[in-house]
Amino acid sequence: MTSATDIPLKQPAISATAGDAEQLERAIIDASTRVPVLMFYASAMVWLLIGTLLAGFVSFDLHSPDWFSNVSFLTWGRLRPVEMNVMIYGWASMVGMGTAIWLMARLCRTTLRHPLLLVTGTCFWNIGVLVGVIAILMGYSTGYQWLEFPPYAALILLVAYALIISWAILMFRFRRGEQIYITQWYLLGAFLWFPWLYAATQVMLFVAPVQGVMQAVVGWWYANNLLFLWLGAIGLGTAYYMIPKVIGRPVYSYHLATIGFWTYALFSSWTGMQRLVDGPFPAWMITASISATILTIIPVATVGLNHHMTMQGYFPVMRYSPTLRFTVFGAMSYTIFSIVGILISLRSTARYLHFTEANVAYSQIGLYAFFTMIMFGSMYYIVPRLVGREWRYATLIKLHFWASAYGIGLLSLMLLVGGLVQGSSQDDPTLPFIESLQSVLPYLRGLSLAALLLTASHFIFAFHFGLMLFGLGRTSTVPTFLNPVEPEGSEPQL
Amino acid sequence: MKGLIPLFIGLFGTFAFSWVGLTVIPNIQIGALNPQISPDDENDIYPMPQSGMVQLGRQVYAANGCIYCHSRQLRPDYASADLDRVRDAGPSPRPKWGERRSAPRDYVFDQPVLLGEERMGPDLADLGKAAPSAEESPAASPAAPAQSPSPAANTASPKPGAGGAPPSPAPPAMATNPSPTPNPNGTPPAYSEAWHHRHLYSPRSMSADTRDSNMPAYRFLYEKRRITGERSADALQLTGADAPPAGWEVVPTYEAKCLVAYLMAQDQSHPLKEVKSAPGAAPAAGSPAAQPGAPAASPAGSQPAAPKK
Repeated sequence: MTSATDIPLKQPAISATAGDAEQLERAIIDASTRVPVLMFYASAMVWLLIGTLLAGFVSFDLHSPDWFSNVSFLTWGRLRPVEMNVMIYGWASMVGMGTAIWLMARLCRTTLRHPLLLVTGTCFWNIGVLVGVIAILMGYSTGYQWLEFPPYAALILLVAYALIISWAILMFRFRRGEQIYITQWYLLGAFLWFPWLYAATQVMLFVAPVQGVMQAVVGWWYANNLLFLWLGAIGLGTAYYMIPKVIGRPVYSYHLATIGFWTYALFSSWTGMQRLVDGPFPAWMITASISATILTIIPVATVGLNHHMTMQGYFPVMRYSPTLRFTVFGAMSYTIFSIVGILISLRSTARYLHFTEANVAYSQIGLYAFFTMIMFGSMYYIVPRLVGREWRYATLIKLHFWASAYGIGLLSLMLLVGGLVQGSSQDDPTLPFIESLQSVLPYLRGLSLAALLLTASHFIFAFHFGLMLFGLGRTSTVPTFLNPVEPEGSEPQL
Repeated sequence: MKGLIPLFIGLFGTFAFSWVGLTVIPNIQIGALNPQISPDDENDIYPMPQSGMVQLGRQVYAANGCIYCHSRQLRPDYASADLDRVRDAGPSPRPKWGERRSAPRDYVFDQPVLLGEERMGPDLADLGKAAPSAEESPAASPAAPAQSPSPAANTASPKPGAGGAPPSPAPPAMATNPSPTPNPNGTPPAYSEAWHHRHLYSPRSMSADTRDSNMPAYRFLYEKRRITGERSADALQLTGADAPPAGWEVVPTYEAKCLVAYLMAQDQSHPLKEVKSAPGAAPAAGSPAAQPGAPAASPAGSQPAAPKK
């Protein structure tokens, strides 16, 4: 089977019997992306560990609020935004860009030209995040959620982004082959939407600030689009590549993929006001966002159905392939993410969930259960191809997966149920307000347990990744399976 | 997809649709609101621009993450219990969270606007309104009964709290003299300036209402120093474990004073013509409770529709 079939979606599903020339071509492409992509991954891992430690500290601070109250930069109010921003701009964005660059090179079947210039972009991005973090710690937070970095840090990020993205676009320019695979749509979308989103928001908030509540509108429009159109688009694009690739089977339906993509772009970009239900805004804006949130069930259903039908009969492969296991977990979480999104925005349920921990649950499910898990999966696939070694310990991968899965599961459950309990107490005006806090505190303690699991998972993964980075992986032609593969069977490619 | 052009038009178009629909068009609708001027009384303008201390206080509020636990918006009565809620502290009857829902016009001078999306702590949209009014605490302060009708005429704020700059001739009454409203535990009257300072310094020391709070203490906003000469007028009245050793005092920094000024300037009680007020609150328009320039007086001239004097 060659890549010149009629259905373009078959392209990433080239079987293991592909010719040597093709193998060689891929090896050359992978080699060209080695330094920058590993640089993205390594930076992202460092930020992930920093963010994880901060998250632990922040969650601990919630029970013991008097700790370090003399030291301004160690108080909850400053560490909490630092943690969120480190996770979004340090970890999620960087790992997403690393994966996106590699996918772009593979799918355009072209080498990454002048990879060292891309490394400069990575450095600038790291500097931007660092500057922003220090600014927040010193008390220069802007006060807009997810946009706490002051404008000068944002400017550094934008410059870095311009450098990074021109390289990706350049690859697209030099692509070989007529067909554009669905993953490339998502990636191109993310690449084009993010700078527009970020620049427009910076202008509307800081350069020529809009008046009053419009700032909140712009802020949440940004935050939701960052989640959907930047991170979410990269995550879905990656899933569309990894699932067919690992099981060696084309995507089930081209048309479903198209419908899923366009409805995703159209509806999810309108959901921003779901965080401001019944706030001081014209009702039509909130209603429009609620409708858009409900309509996101269309891309969820089409994408989910497409993945499911692709996987049909191949689910047992999840027993062996770490990539597939993480990716499918993420893809399934996308459905849950969307359902929780509807719950927190419908007026009847928002009454009990608005202003509670359920909002945090929503963001965490999107950022972690959906996006981060898919990114872990992609790293399990990509890193061996960059360093020429296989993952050393299957046990560590298993531990990583289960600690992450249980961690994020417990975290979401605690926040959602806790949020509902908290919201119900808040909705009863005969109870003193402090009652709602008391009712949610046990759940917040459960959160600390989840944070512990996630911390373990991240350090295990970081250790394993470090081994790979320093050339201590296995030298083998066979990928690392989670469980020993029986001789017969479907011969997963991983 | 074969053609690149349709793909790029699609990518561009969907995002442009969202950008125009959710930010540009609303900005045309509510992005250029003016303060409301009462048809009956040209001096009755709401909202008013805020004083420098309040503005700085807003920065302190943003910088220290208050927004992650406190909202500053009240939902309408049909959608929530916000308007039925009363605060946990204060004299009986407890002050309400607010009399009416928040509206876009309430925020026209806010930069940044800090609506919040989480309520680990109570809503603060009307916090300043909960402060004990000047009549209730007939303290020794000569500035207390200052109910001036003209916003430009008095330099000190009509609220007892907002004018707490150190060289001010009218020292904040509560801090120096907490006795007028005797309280067990020596706690200052709820939501007064002194109460806020003590609450920020030691959130769990106040009373039974706040003992279980998990609000972080903001001690870095306060300075512990040796008393030289006389005890400072604005030193915090602390008891128990929080009390400084003899010969020492805890005084708010300028940042803390700004933050408290900001908290006490939170007042959305003025009726707006586009918002239905709760029953009983409507006639407040002409009453002294709805003072012009409630947050803080500002020099005339910064206001485009400045009242004629």
